Amino acid sequence: MMLQEFSAWFVWVLPLIASLFVPVIGRYTEKGRNYFVVAVAIVSAALAISLIPDVWGKHEAVIYTIPWLSGFGGEGLSAGVFIDPLSVLFTVLISFFALIIAIYSIGYMKGESGLTRYYYLILLFIGSMIGLVLADNMLQMFIFWEMVGLCSYALISFWYKKPESIRAGVKVFIMTRIGDIALLAAIGLLFLMFGTLSFRGIINGIIAGGFNETYMIAVAFLVLGGAIAKSAQLPLFTWLYSAMEAPTSVSALLHAATMVKAGIYLLSRVILIFSVAPALISVLNEALWFPTIIWVGTLTALVGASLALHTTDIKGVLAYSTVSQIGFMMAGLGAAAMQGWFGSLYHMISHAFFEGLGFLIAGGLIHAVGTRDMRLMGGLRNAMPLSFILMGIMVITTSGLPPFASFFSKGLIITSVTESGGVFPSIILIATTGITFAYCFRMFSLVFMGEESGYLKLQRVHESPTIMLIPAAILAGFCIYWGVGEPAVANFLGVTIFGGDALGIIYEAFFNIETPIFLTLLLPIGIIAYYSYFKRYNGIRNIAAGKNPLSTMLKHAFFFDYTYDRVAKGITGFSIALTRVENALFARLPDEGAAKISRAAQPGHAITLKKGFSGSFRNYVAAAVLGFILIVVLIILTFGIGLGGA
Amino acid sequence: MSLPILLSVFLIPSISIPFVYLTGKKSPKSAAIFVAAIALVCIGLLLSTVPQILNSDLHRYEETWAWIPTVLSGDAQFAQFSLFIDGISASVALISLVLIFVASLYSINYMAGKKHLPVYYALLSMLTVGLIGVFLTSNLILFYFCWELMLVPAYFIVGEWGYRNSYKSALKLFIFTHAGAVFVLLGIGALYWLTGSTDMFIAQSSLQNLPAIYADTIKWTMIALTAGLAVKMAVFPVHMWLPDAHSEAPAPMSALLSGVIISAGAYAIIRLSFGVVFPAVSVDFATMFLHGLAVIAIVTAFFGSLLSLVATDIKRVIAYSSIAHMGYIMFGLSLFPVALAQGGSLALIAPAAIAIVGTVLHIVTHAASKGLFFLTAGGVMHQTEKRDIREMGGLASKMPFSAVSGTIAALSISGAPPFACFISEFLIFVGAFQIIQADSFYIIPTALMLIATVFSLAYSLRFVSKVFLGQSKEEVGVEEPPNGHDAHAPDAPAAEEAHGHKIVDVPNWMKASLAILVVLVVIIGIYPTFFMDLIQSVTFGVTG
Repeated sequence: MMLQEFSAWFVWVLPLIASLFVPVIGRYTEKGRNYFVVAVAIVSAALAISLIPDVWGKHEAVIYTIPWLSGFGGEGLSAGVFIDPLSVLFTVLISFFALIIAIYSIGYMKGESGLTRYYYLILLFIGSMIGLVLADNMLQMFIFWEMVGLCSYALISFWYKKPESIRAGVKVFIMTRIGDIALLAAIGLLFLMFGTLSFRGIINGIIAGGFNETYMIAVAFLVLGGAIAKSAQLPLFTWLYSAMEAPTSVSALLHAATMVKAGIYLLSRVILIFSVAPALISVLNEALWFPTIIWVGTLTALVGASLALHTTDIKGVLAYSTVSQIGFMMAGLGAAAMQGWFGSLYHMISHAFFEGLGFLIAGGLIHAVGTRDMRLMGGLRNAMPLSFILMGIMVITTSGLPPFASFFSKGLIITSVTESGGVFPSIILIATTGITFAYCFRMFSLVFMGEESGYLKLQRVHESPTIMLIPAAILAGFCIYWGVGEPAVANFLGVTIFGGDALGIIYEAFFNIETPIFLTLLLPIGIIAYYSYFKRYNGIRNIAAGKNPLSTMLKHAFFFDYTYDRVAKGITGFSIALTRVENALFARLPDEGAAKISRAAQPGHAITLKKGFSGSFRNYVAAAVLGFILIVVLIILTFGIGLGGA
Repeated sequence: MSLPILLSVFLIPSISIPFVYLTGKKSPKSAAIFVAAIALVCIGLLLSTVPQILNSDLHRYEETWAWIPTVLSGDAQFAQFSLFIDGISASVALISLVLIFVASLYSINYMAGKKHLPVYYALLSMLTVGLIGVFLTSNLILFYFCWELMLVPAYFIVGEWGYRNSYKSALKLFIFTHAGAVFVLLGIGALYWLTGSTDMFIAQSSLQNLPAIYADTIKWTMIALTAGLAVKMAVFPVHMWLPDAHSEAPAPMSALLSGVIISAGAYAIIRLSFGVVFPAVSVDFATMFLHGLAVIAIVTAFFGSLLSLVATDIKRVIAYSSIAHMGYIMFGLSLFPVALAQGGSLALIAPAAIAIVGTVLHIVTHAASKGLFFLTAGGVMHQTEKRDIREMGGLASKMPFSAVSGTIAALSISGAPPFACFISEFLIFVGAFQIIQADSFYIIPTALMLIATVFSLAYSLRFVSKVFLGQSKEEVGVEEPPNGHDAHAPDAPAAEEAHGHKIVDVPNWMKASLAILVVLVVIIGIYPTFFMDLIQSVTFGVTG
C-alpha cells in the first residue's frame, strides 16, 4: 500500500516538479534536456503501471489526502488522489502516451527553437493531465482541467510568431472557457448541496439522499456543458480544427489521445458517482439528460465525420475524425447502460491508439512534403513505404473492421444506444461508421495512392526518421492487438453500474444487429470510395465540389465558426462604440494618438515640458510633507496626555 | 502590551520620511532601498502579530492610546488613537507593504534619471503611512486622516512623474476621490453624532441599540459611506478618474493605485459600511442595498471588460481591467452578509463567509496580479518607448522575462488556475452559489459574473497576443517561411538600427521585483491557506 500511495502522488507530481528543471537543464545541454524529459516520462509511466495491480477489478476507491484549504466547507478541503480503476485507466493511458510523444518529439521537433519552452509545457501538461484524472475533489480537478487548457493554449501558440497560431490559441482557450464556467457553476451547486467538493463526500451525500432534484439536474447539464466544450462536441467543436496549428506531436498528445478526453473522463466519473443512487439516475433520465448526451454525441459524430470527408487538410481529417469518434464515446455514455459506459471507455483507448498513430504518421508526412494540403500529396507509397504501411493499419483500425478494437467498441456503443431506446441515434451512428470508412479511405488514397502531384516532384521526399517511426510502430502494434484486450479491460474496470455485468457484455459485441448491417454497409461505401478516390472517378467528387446546399454547408463547416465570428465581431463593435462614448463623455486623453511616449517622459528629459509647474512643485510637496510631519509630532505629543488608555 | 508593534508599524514610515528625502539627495538608489527596507520591517512586524490574531479570542490585536479629548461627551473622554489588526486588515496591509516594497525596488531602474527623485521616494514613504493607517486603525478620525493622506502622494506622483497630460489626470484623481471622501466624512460625522464615539467597534455596538427613529439616518449613513468609498473603488458610474490616472501614472504608482489604493475602497466598505453600520439597518433595506451593489458590480465588470477588450493603450487595457475587477470585488461585497431574517436580527450565514473570504482574498490576489501586470507593462513601455499595443508584437523573443511575467499576470487576471486570482474568484462564486439557496435574486447576477470571466480571458489573451506574440512591426517585412517549422524569422538587425536602439529585456532590479510578484502570484494560487486562515479568523462582531 505504501507503494500505491507513493505512485499515485508522484505519477503527477514528478512531471510537475521536473518541468521546473527543464529550463535549467536546457540552458546547458539540449540533448540532456530531451533525454531528461524522456526519463521523466518513463518513470511516470512506470509509476502509473505500478498502480494497476492494486486496483484491478476493485470497486472501492482508495484515497490519500493532505491538508490544503483549511476552513473551506467546515472541515476544510484536502488535496488528494482518488485511485480507482477508472482513474488508473486514464493515468496509464496518459503516461504511456506521454512517453510515446516524448520520444517522438526528439525526432519531430529537431532543429526548432524554443524547445525548452516546448518540453517545459509538455511536462507541465503531463503532470496536469494525470493530476486531473487522479484528483479526489472537484476543485482540484477543475484547477488541472484549466491547467491542461492553459498548456493547450501555450502549445497551440508554440510558433508564436505565426498569426494563425496565436489566433488559434486564443480561440481554443476562449471556447473551452465557455465550458469551464458551466463546470464551475456545477461545482458551486455541488458545494451548495453537499457542503464538500470531495468525490467521496459527494457520493456519501447522494447515498444519503441529501440532494435537491432540481439542483442535481442543473449540475448534470452544467457538467455536460463543460464536457462538451473540452471534448469538442456540438456546438463547440470547431476549436479542435483550429488547434491543428499546434506541432503535430502536440496534436497527437493533447488533441487526440488525452486532453480532449478530459470531457469523457469527467462524464464517466460523474455517471459513476451518480449511479450510486438509482433514483437519481431515473431523475436524470426523466430530465432527458442521458438522451441529450446521446444526441449530442450522435450529431457530433455525424458532423465530424462529414467534415472529415470534406477537408483537404490532412490534420483536419484527423481533427474532425477525433471530433466524430469522441461523439461515439459521448453517445455510449449517454446510453445509461453498462455496455455503453464500458464501450465508451474502451473506445476511448482504442481511439487514442489509432488517432495517435494517424497523427504521428501525419507529422512525418508534413515534415517530408512540407504541406498539410492533401491535394498536393499523392503517390507517396513509394517514397515512404513504412509510413504507408502504418497509415494502412491506422485506416483499417479507424474504420472499425471486425477483428480490431474499434469494431467491438463501436458495436457496444451502438447496441447500448439502441437498447436505451435511441433508434434514430443508432441509425445515424451506423451511417457514421460508413462515413468513417469513407473518409479514412479518402485520406489514404489522396496521400498514398495515385500519381505524385506536380508539387511533390519538386520536393525531396524522404521516409521519416527511425525515432519517429518507432513510436508509431508501437502504436500500430497496439492498434492491431488491442481488439483482444477487451476482456482484460473489462476485468480491470470491474465496475458494475446500472446493474450490468462487466464480463458478460463483451460477447454481446459479436452478436448484435450492428455487425451484419455494418458489413453490408461497407461494401457499397467501399466501392464508391474506391472509385472516387482510387480510380479518380469524378461522380462523387463533382457533387462535393459543385454548388449544392450540402457542399456549401460542408465548405463552411456548417457555419458554426461563421456564427461565432459574427458574435465576436458584434461584441467588439459594441465595445468600440462604448469606448467612443466613454472617451467623449469624460474627455479622455486620445487613445489613438498615444503611439509614442513623448520624449519628455523619458529618462533625462523628465521635466522639460513642465517647466511652469516644476518650480513650484518642490514647494508644494515640501509644504505637504512638513504639514504631515507636524501632525505626526502632534500625535506623539498628545500621547503625553494619556498614555496607556485601554 | 509589551512592545507597541502596530504603533511602530505606523510611526517607522512616518518618521523615516525626512530621512528618505535626505538619503535620496545623496543617492536615489539608497532611498529606494531605504523605502523597501522600511516596508520589509513593517511586513516583519505585522507577521509577528499573526499568531496573536489567529489564537486570541476576538481574533484581533489592538493597541490603544488616549488621543484627542472628545467634545461631545461631558466627562473627560478621549478619542482613542487606536490601532488594531485582524485577519482582514492584516492580509490587506501585508499585500500593500509587499507592493510598496516591490514598487520601490522597481523604481530604481524605472525612475532612474528623472528629476526630484528624493521627493518621489519620500512621497512613496508617505503613501505607506496612509495605507497602513487606513488598514490598521479602528478610529474613524484617524481613518479619515489616513484616507486623505493617501491622496496627497498619489496626486503628486501621478502629476509630476506621469506621462503626457499628467497633472490633468492627477487632478481628476484628486477631485473625484476627494469628492468621494466628502461623503465618507459625512458618514463618519453622522456616526459620531449618532453614537458619540469615533471608535468603530463602540460605534457598531451602540448603533444597534439606537431607537427606531434613527433608522433613516442610519440608512443614509450607510449609503453615504458606501457611495463615498465606492468612488475610490472606481465602480461603474464613478469610474471616470481611473483610466486616465492609472494609465498616465508612472508604472510603480499605477501598480500601487490599481493594486491597493482602489482596493482600499473595498476594504473600507467591508470595515465601515458592513462592519459598523450594516448590522443596524433593517433586513429589507439591507437586502435591497446588496442587490443594488450586485447590479452595479455586473455593470462594472462588463463595462471594464468590454472597454479593456478594445483599448489600444497598453496601460489603459490594464486600467480598464482594474475596473472590471472592482466589479468582481463589488459582487463579492454584495454577497456579504445576505440578510437572513432570524428573529429580526441579521445573521451572517456561513456561506456568505465563503464569499467574503473570497472577496478579501481577491483584494490580495488582485493586488499582486495587477501589480505584476502594471509593472510588466511599465517595463515594456520603458524598454520600447511605445505604448500603443498595435505597434508592438513579437516582444517575447526580445524580452523573454517580461513575456513570462506578463503572461502569468494576464492569466492570473483572467482567472486561470494555478494563478492567484482564480482561487479568490472561485471562492466568490462558491459563496454566490451558496446564497442562491437563500436568495434566488442572485441566480442571474452569478451567471452574468461567470460569463464576465470569459471576457476577462479575452482581453488578457489579447494583451499577450498583441504585445508579446506575433512579429514585431519591424519584422513584418521579413519573408515569412511557408510552414511553421522554422517560423522564427531571423532577427532583422537593419530594421532595428533604423528604429534607433535595440530592444532588450528589463534591467535587473525590475526583473527582481517582477520575480517577487510572480512567485507570490503562483504561491497564493496553489496554496492560499495562509491568507485564507487569516481572513477566516475574522468574526465581524455580527452574530445570529
